[in-house]
Amino acid sequence: MSRRIMVVDDSRLVRVQLEDALKGTDYEIAAYCRSGEEAVEQYASVQPDLVTMDIIMQGMDGLDAAEIILKNNPEARIVMVSSLAYEDTFDRAKAIGTRGFVDKPFHQGQLLKVFEEALS
Amino acid sequence: MNTAMTKEELARILDQALQDVTEQTAGVCLHQGDQPPGEDLCTVHITFDKGFSTSLTLCADTSLLARMARNSFHEEMVTPEDLEEFSKEYLNVLCGKVTGAMYQSTQIPAHFGQPVFYHGRYEPEGQEVQFVLTYSDEQSKGAQLIHHVPCPGGDEGIPNES
Repeated sequence: MSRRIMVVDDSRLVRVQLEDALKGTDYEIAAYCRSGEEAVEQYASVQPDLVTMDIIMQGMDGLDAAEIILKNNPEARIVMVSSLAYEDTFDRAKAIGTRGFVDKPFHQGQLLKVFEEALS
Repeated sequence: MNTAMTKEELARILDQALQDVTEQTAGVCLHQGDQPPGEDLCTVHITFDKGFSTSLTLCADTSLLARMARNSFHEEMVTPEDLEEFSKEYLNVLCGKVTGAMYQSTQIPAHFGQPVFYHGRYEPEGQEVQFVLTYSDEQSKGAQLIHHVPCPGGDEGIPNES
């Protein structure tokens, strides 16, 4: 049974890269959201196994959106996918309760490893 | 980009990031060379903030950017809107990689703004070219990555060492 991913990213390039990376794997993309607000709104109806969350987006950023989703759904599994690979960002993402961090641009192996860890 | 990094070190980081990101996102290999873009070119420009006041400009043959966009989006044809969208997202990813590498080297977080796209060549006002990295692909299409710093005597920015 495939595991359902909700992708939160305003970049078409990243969405295509994620689709490529997940082809032929046990993961399927169940929903796309282009903003933090949309992710917060969609989470309950999509009920994904995993969320990939960009950080810099128009409007609510990914860290704030992850915090709200986790507050309302403590079981949510969220992986940050961002180029903001700074210690303060890692620290905040971890403090919020996200399950992993993937640097952009990513390789398939790196992505799947973080996904597996997040879901274990 | 800041006083904690030499021009040579920054150029090395930019070169590595550009080659990695281009191959990874667009499946295109760019090699440093001396073939500048021709007349039909596009420019995408991004500014670094948090006091650095420097910027990066990518000028490239339109046909090279279009090929990269087609590869990245898996489309046989790309519209002018696709070309602009790809160019901005590509520079965003490139700058993310660059700032990550800079942070590893200096422990100074750098931030950058939204990229701006232009048809033709664009030169930012109040800034001068610090260095230019010139690339070409296997079809002899050219691209240049240009690092700008504030003009001497300007009100903003931190002068680079070297």
